[in-house]
Amino acid sequence: MAHAPMSAAQMRQILASRKIERVVVLGANGTMGYGSGALFTTAVPQVTFLARTKAKADEGLAAAIKQVRSPTVALRVTTGDYEHDLAAAVADADLIFEALTEDFAIKKDIFDKVEAARRDDSIVATVTSGLSINSLCEGRSDSFRRHFLGLHFFNPPNVIVGTELIAGRDTDAAIVDFVDAFSQLRLGREMIRAFDTPAFAGNRVGFKVMNECAQLAGEIGPLLADKLVGPYTGRAMTPLATVDLVGWDIHRAIVDNVYENTNDEVHETLRLPDYMAKLMEKGVLGNKTGGGFFKKEGKTRLVLDPRTGDYRPESEIALPDLDYIDQVAALHRDGRYREGMQVFLNAEGEYAKIARGVIAGYVAYAFNRVGEVTESIDGIDRIMGMGFNAAPPSVLVDTIGVRGVVDMIGEAGLAVPKVLAEAAKTGQPERFFDHPRINIGRFFVAQ
Amino acid sequence: MAAGSEVYVLGGYQTDFARNWTKENKHFSALMRESVQGALQACEIAPEEVESAHVGNFAAELYCMQGHLGAFFTEVDPAFSGLPTGRHEAACASGSIALLAASAEIEAGRYDLQAVVGIEQMKTVSADVGGSYLGTAAWYELEAAGVEFPFPKLFGRLGDEYDRRYGLKDEHLAEISRLNYANAKLNPNAQTRTWYMNKDHALCRTEDNPAVGGRVRIADCSQVTDGAVTLFLASREYAEKWARGTGRKLSQIPRIKGWGHNTARLKFDDKIAESANAEYVLPHVRSTITSAMQRAGIPNVDGIDGIETHDCFTTSEYMAIDHFGITKPGESWKAIEAGWLEIDGKYPINPSGGLIGAGHPVGATGCRQVLDAYLQVTGQAGAYQVEGAKNFQTLNIGGSGTTSVSFVIGVD
Repeated sequence: MAHAPMSAAQMRQILASRKIERVVVLGANGTMGYGSGALFTTAVPQVTFLARTKAKADEGLAAAIKQVRSPTVALRVTTGDYEHDLAAAVADADLIFEALTEDFAIKKDIFDKVEAARRDDSIVATVTSGLSINSLCEGRSDSFRRHFLGLHFFNPPNVIVGTELIAGRDTDAAIVDFVDAFSQLRLGREMIRAFDTPAFAGNRVGFKVMNECAQLAGEIGPLLADKLVGPYTGRAMTPLATVDLVGWDIHRAIVDNVYENTNDEVHETLRLPDYMAKLMEKGVLGNKTGGGFFKKEGKTRLVLDPRTGDYRPESEIALPDLDYIDQVAALHRDGRYREGMQVFLNAEGEYAKIARGVIAGYVAYAFNRVGEVTESIDGIDRIMGMGFNAAPPSVLVDTIGVRGVVDMIGEAGLAVPKVLAEAAKTGQPERFFDHPRINIGRFFVAQ
Repeated sequence: MAAGSEVYVLGGYQTDFARNWTKENKHFSALMRESVQGALQACEIAPEEVESAHVGNFAAELYCMQGHLGAFFTEVDPAFSGLPTGRHEAACASGSIALLAASAEIEAGRYDLQAVVGIEQMKTVSADVGGSYLGTAAWYELEAAGVEFPFPKLFGRLGDEYDRRYGLKDEHLAEISRLNYANAKLNPNAQTRTWYMNKDHALCRTEDNPAVGGRVRIADCSQVTDGAVTLFLASREYAEKWARGTGRKLSQIPRIKGWGHNTARLKFDDKIAESANAEYVLPHVRSTITSAMQRAGIPNVDGIDGIETHDCFTTSEYMAIDHFGITKPGESWKAIEAGWLEIDGKYPINPSGGLIGAGHPVGATGCRQVLDAYLQVTGQAGAYQVEGAKNFQTLNIGGSGTTSVSFVIGVD
């Protein structure tokens, strides 16, 4: 089913068809719970934060206030617990937003309670980043399944606008359109419709790249791996620093889910490196445990040695000659992104080749997922740009040139996606990224 | 090339005002390059076609230690070698002054196609240093030297003057802030599109929304912004040729239908003293607005489908509401309470989010307003489109109401 973007007038009309005046957030003490809850208070007059205990829900409210730096969040939020407050709050709610821990049984249990209490016309959304939308509503009433969908905000929801909208098999098209319009017009979201597949679109593609860098770090060390796939390749934050930020446990949950439940052409790049599993047993989970690939000791940045689990100061680690990266960064600094990426494309030496391999792998993987995770490359492009702050695959193709990208994919020993092979042959389409108002230069950081 | 030609707006390009070019480790030249190349691509114009170029900028010498900005055109494309270029300055109205100069050259019959860039990179310095640089848009020695954040204080006093003459409630200013932030969420290039705001927060009186200039609090302020906007202006002759070449109709291409341009005394106190017995608090601003309408043949604000105004602070938008004639002087609050300023209201103001929501890269703002007006009257404004808009008016102000420029951009 093709989905055309809606005009402002259409969206306003759809928005007028229902009201969202009361929202209940379930699991409001978790990061996604309170973060999403704070976001809802920008547009909704009454938001109820629920958790296992009222004290936990209050903690969520305090965290929401801290996150958006406004005590006024409290003016629109009431708190409570599941046992005493869920039934009444859910019965009143226009939107019930589930943000519990990523555990099928726990979510099933709360949905039992929701189903018993909700009105037939209320919308039920889950922020799950991995569990199947169809499985989560399996066996429930018609009304529940028709009003149930995935609304996948990225963390932190008040900052990252890229959002995936995942309809189940039985979700009403009108409900999907409504949540889409509401999220765009009232919450300022960039909405991407993703299919109900493991990790959906953004995490499927984004974590594949990060995991490949983690695998690479096992061979050449995290410092060099992050330098090679650094900001100059089209990203605000380096891949391994990102894994440290999101947490190794979250990273593992996502790549394990994809590894176990899919079987694509580069399956092994989704396997968590053994050294990460071993270090996780010792309690290493990234920034939240004081360090992962990198850690700070005073002003010194320390780098993990994946073979030993020890850390060494960054300044003591010798890097090979990466002069080409400086050349690319100097061109990016003047806004000469095409010229910069030509230098990258033509750089000699094994390390430039490794870096090109990761970027080629990213582009090929994204184009190969079209039809599987989203309807078109545009959805993957927008979630990578607006969810991961990384150059969308189409932007890389347009900036490097399709023939250059095809060469890179070949050099990496990967099969060239058909649409890219065709474009290289025919010169059509001239451009893959068709969003004239989105700046593409913002993705290419001069470092 | 004929003297007296009408001036057409072919389109343009805005950089994302949420970007921090220092964090991206980019030079001023990249900001210029992206906006000019983006406009060339958006308008399907080859660089060889451009005959002259104007840059509007306030203070690159201070923020970027860089002058001679017109010459940066030669860095954008080899075809710009030999292009006549120059730079214009009138504080926050610099972008509009560049547009006026370019349109005058078209009217004089000198050139058929002009590039106009409004540009400012401001996140190169700390907030207090930047605030002091902005103070040079006032009479620095008398109004800004040694004052922390002089401009919020000057525009706080504009609110005080309204309060003295007519009464002014904080909740009406908060409503202006709320609406600009809400509209900004619909604009993919607005600086504050992810910032937390609603009316409660705008009315928040704790340190989360500190006072920076009397009644003016952080939520009342426009932003410190890096940004550039490039527009192409053309004669009728060029516009006809371009319309044929790109499959458009000439009647669909917006024109600058009218313009107004005024300068009042530099010091805020002098302006207010002069208007003591006048109908409007800032009579020169009123005159700028009405002369643009007159030149456009539009009798009053009912002929205007939407406004992009200079809300450097909520008080300046409050002033603009009655100065545009939406209400009688001193009754701006009525338009706010009636919901007239909403995108689907009777007199939409700042559907883009304005300076508070979209951001305020000082020298770029006048150009950004005209680009948004262009997007509106050509139906390309996306989620913040005012349905069926044919005429949009801008108001761009330098200093504390000192230099003011207004354009009416419209199609027939």
